[in-house]
Amino acid sequence: MLTVSNLSSGYGKLKVLYDLSIDVPEKELTVVVGPNGAGKTTLLCSIMNIANVFSGEILLQDSSIKGIPTHNLAQKGISYVPQMGNVFAELTVMDNLHMAGYMLSKSEAKDKAEQMTEIFPVLKKFIHRLAGTLSGGERRMLAIAMGLMKNPKLMLLDELSTDLAPIIAERVMMEVARMRDELGITILMVEQMAKRALEIGDTAYLLVSGEVKYSGDASALLHEPELCSMYLGIKHSSDKGKEFELSVMDEGSEDN
Amino acid sequence: MAPWLSSGLVYASGLALTAGSVTLLYIVTRTFNFAVASMATIGFYTVYTGVTLFGGLPYQYYPFAFIVGSITGFICYYGLNRPLLRRQAIETTLMMSTLGYDLILLSMIQMYADFLTHTYKIFPRRVTMSLFDFELFGDRAAAFILPVIAIGFLTILHIFLTKTKFGVAMRATIENPILAGASGINSDRVYLVSWIIGGGMAALGGSFMAMAMTGTPVMGMYTIPLMFAGAILGGLGSIYGGILGGLVIGLTEYAGVFLLSQQFGPWVLGYRMGIPLFIMAATLLVFPRGLSGIPLLKIIKNFAEQKRGARA
Amino acid sequence: MTTQNGISDKFKNILLRRELHVGIIIAALLAFLYASRGINIILTILIQVTIFAIITMSLNLESGYTGIPQFGRVAAVIAGAFAVGGIPGRIMASFMGLPSGREYTLDTVNFKVVPEINNLLASSWLMSLGFLIMCIVIAGASGAIIGWLISRPAIRLKEAYLGISMLAIGDFFMWVGHNWNLLVGGSTPANVPDPFRIFGAARFNVIVPVFFVIAIIIFIYLNKLTRSPFGRNLRMLRDNELSANAAGLNIVKVRTQSLVIGACIAAIGGGLYVLYTGSVAAIGMTRLTFTFWPWAYMMLGGVGSNVGVFMGVFLLTILRTMIIIFRSQWFGFLLAVGIDPLWLEFTLLGAVIIIVILFLPHGLVPEKVEAMLPANRVKKVMAQREL
Repeated sequence: MLTVSNLSSGYGKLKVLYDLSIDVPEKELTVVVGPNGAGKTTLLCSIMNIANVFSGEILLQDSSIKGIPTHNLAQKGISYVPQMGNVFAELTVMDNLHMAGYMLSKSEAKDKAEQMTEIFPVLKKFIHRLAGTLSGGERRMLAIAMGLMKNPKLMLLDELSTDLAPIIAERVMMEVARMRDELGITILMVEQMAKRALEIGDTAYLLVSGEVKYSGDASALLHEPELCSMYLGIKHSSDKGKEFELSVMDEGSEDN
Repeated sequence: MAPWLSSGLVYASGLALTAGSVTLLYIVTRTFNFAVASMATIGFYTVYTGVTLFGGLPYQYYPFAFIVGSITGFICYYGLNRPLLRRQAIETTLMMSTLGYDLILLSMIQMYADFLTHTYKIFPRRVTMSLFDFELFGDRAAAFILPVIAIGFLTILHIFLTKTKFGVAMRATIENPILAGASGINSDRVYLVSWIIGGGMAALGGSFMAMAMTGTPVMGMYTIPLMFAGAILGGLGSIYGGILGGLVIGLTEYAGVFLLSQQFGPWVLGYRMGIPLFIMAATLLVFPRGLSGIPLLKIIKNFAEQKRGARA
Repeated sequence: MTTQNGISDKFKNILLRRELHVGIIIAALLAFLYASRGINIILTILIQVTIFAIITMSLNLESGYTGIPQFGRVAAVIAGAFAVGGIPGRIMASFMGLPSGREYTLDTVNFKVVPEINNLLASSWLMSLGFLIMCIVIAGASGAIIGWLISRPAIRLKEAYLGISMLAIGDFFMWVGHNWNLLVGGSTPANVPDPFRIFGAARFNVIVPVFFVIAIIIFIYLNKLTRSPFGRNLRMLRDNELSANAAGLNIVKVRTQSLVIGACIAAIGGGLYVLYTGSVAAIGMTRLTFTFWPWAYMMLGGVGSNVGVFMGVFLLTILRTMIIIFRSQWFGFLLAVGIDPLWLEFTLLGAVIIIVILFLPHGLVPEKVEAMLPANRVKKVMAQREL
């Protein structure tokens, strides 16, 4: 669905990505993992034409979207959920949903917002509250709902699980998997919580210092002990670790 | 009404609009608009031209002042601000560019004043606009009409920003341009509309202020520190903050001059500009982010807690 | 063979330098003005150039090198101008037994006292020189004091807040001077004793070289200063405040130093301006003349480049003068509808600012990126480290 080939991009004169190629197959969940500063967010920003693209090509369903203004990409069916500031804190939940569906007609947006409150019941409860007053988990749900408002063909998700309590992060991951399975949306997800993301993902790319170090099956990457321990901080041979993780999840309470 | 209050109200409602214009353009485009000075003067000259050449009351020419101001804002956006925003210029560059635009506008105002003198044999360099006003309830009508117009304008602006789709989109863009862009909102159009509204507001504010002071080609240039002071006092966070800041600056100037000159004699009049600037400096020293930096919610919360503590 | 090649390369490099091109344009314009209007106009231009070059270099130190949005340059210029207008004359008057207290600047007294001081100064070149030096010292000191006082509240504010506060302070100073007639005569300009009276009709011919020497001394001092470790601190602060802070730079201290030195130099410029005009009209010390024009000079010349500042001041001053002297010849069509072509000066100023920002963001003579150490030193150090 989305093909990025030989992409070099960055901010201003600073080059972050070097000759990068990735492919996002239709109706699959593609995961991009990697250490901090690898250029994962820059990749999404380059697709959205927020970062500066120096060379390379970005194709959406075989037509180039390189250089198209950000606000027109929403009409092409791409929906982008940024890592930071992914809701409008000073608008109500309702206004947030309507803004996310800005290019829909009024009645369409209304129907769609209704639909979202059914998918995410938590939003219905707070529909007239300012988004800034929601808890971290609720905000993330709202951000996903806002992404879905646009009837997207392709969703770009940037580190959805950042600074969420583990149990909430787990719930967010389940939602992502559900979007692929039930709604058939193509997803390109950048994730810090590498282990969980690789478990639910189909294809994976390991990005290090602006270059692809691994590409292929997502769960297979988990069986590359060297890459995992070096770049992702996942230690093998440790059922102990797993237990620990579970216990943390049990104790985890919702953050605010 | 006491004379200082009626003049103060007229002046302060004008200052509130100009300070609101400065704040609006700053929060939308990061541009500290120096051209607000000449935009205000242009608003005044539009009204003056209408009144002297076509007769009638100043109030009926306010819509024209708004439109002329909007046009100057429109030109500034397309000619200057847009290319610079695309280049991601820094704040100081944006500020300097509007200064350049302001000086060109100023030279055009001066030439226009010369032209009026030469062609119509009128004297546009020292104008007392309040002579064109009428009397209402034993006081100048402007003291009642202008605050009402200002409040009406702000109500419309508020409804526009909260109830219409494009208005909400403007607020969304102000808060988070990237997310707004990704949602399909064309930020270019948002910037354009804010320049049009900002230019119109500045011109309207200038034509208000001319009802309380002598209208000259440099009136905007002399009062621009006060417009900025109002915007800064308001905290540069929300348009309402800027409007409030302008109002406070304008009223304290008149009230302060009145009180101090009664106390110390008329020589205080010469230093009138110092009063609002002193208030701005004092506020900034305590709250470096202006009125909007005052943690009102926190104060209320603390107060409530103290009360609860006292009861327990 | 190779040396010859080297020389021609060097020659080519000189030919290609922007400074040379701008210099040629300036020289051509000056020659044109000299041919059409004589030497006096050249002298006037040169005096203005030196005064405004001093003020603009001080602005360049604060805004160009340190990154402070100095929109209140006029405040320090006013400090210098008022100090020279009010203090040295009073000192002289008190020595001569003339009225020197509060009444010195009153218009009924001032026009009698100052000519007597002038007569005394004209009698001895030593006294004239001493008076000039006293004026410069007083101007610089008062500028430094005012700069420090302004920096106290201003230092904590962020970008736009800082710039606007300084702009407001500058305006306030002007109004104080205009209204408080004990300072420099209020709305009736106070006269300033003239240390160049001794030269009589040749006054201008002497002012030009004297001011020029002062400007050159300041130029050399600033060049030394900006290449010193202190100058590197300034640029570090300008380019990235956060990393400067992280590197252990005391930001408040460095900024204060920059503001105080800048204000001191600008005040000297203001003092010289007053000595040249012979009187202090407070209402003439506007932010347009002493803040916005210097900004335009600096931006045209090249932010962060003192050679550029000189070029910018020179070019724009010539253009301003040309508008004034050729207004009836070139802009007759404006005069026909009653418009005074003098307003074109504002148009020129605005247009220069806009054109520079849009098409020439680094100015005519861009700032040179300088290595901390000469290249061969760096190589040597690297070689030592490898050993």
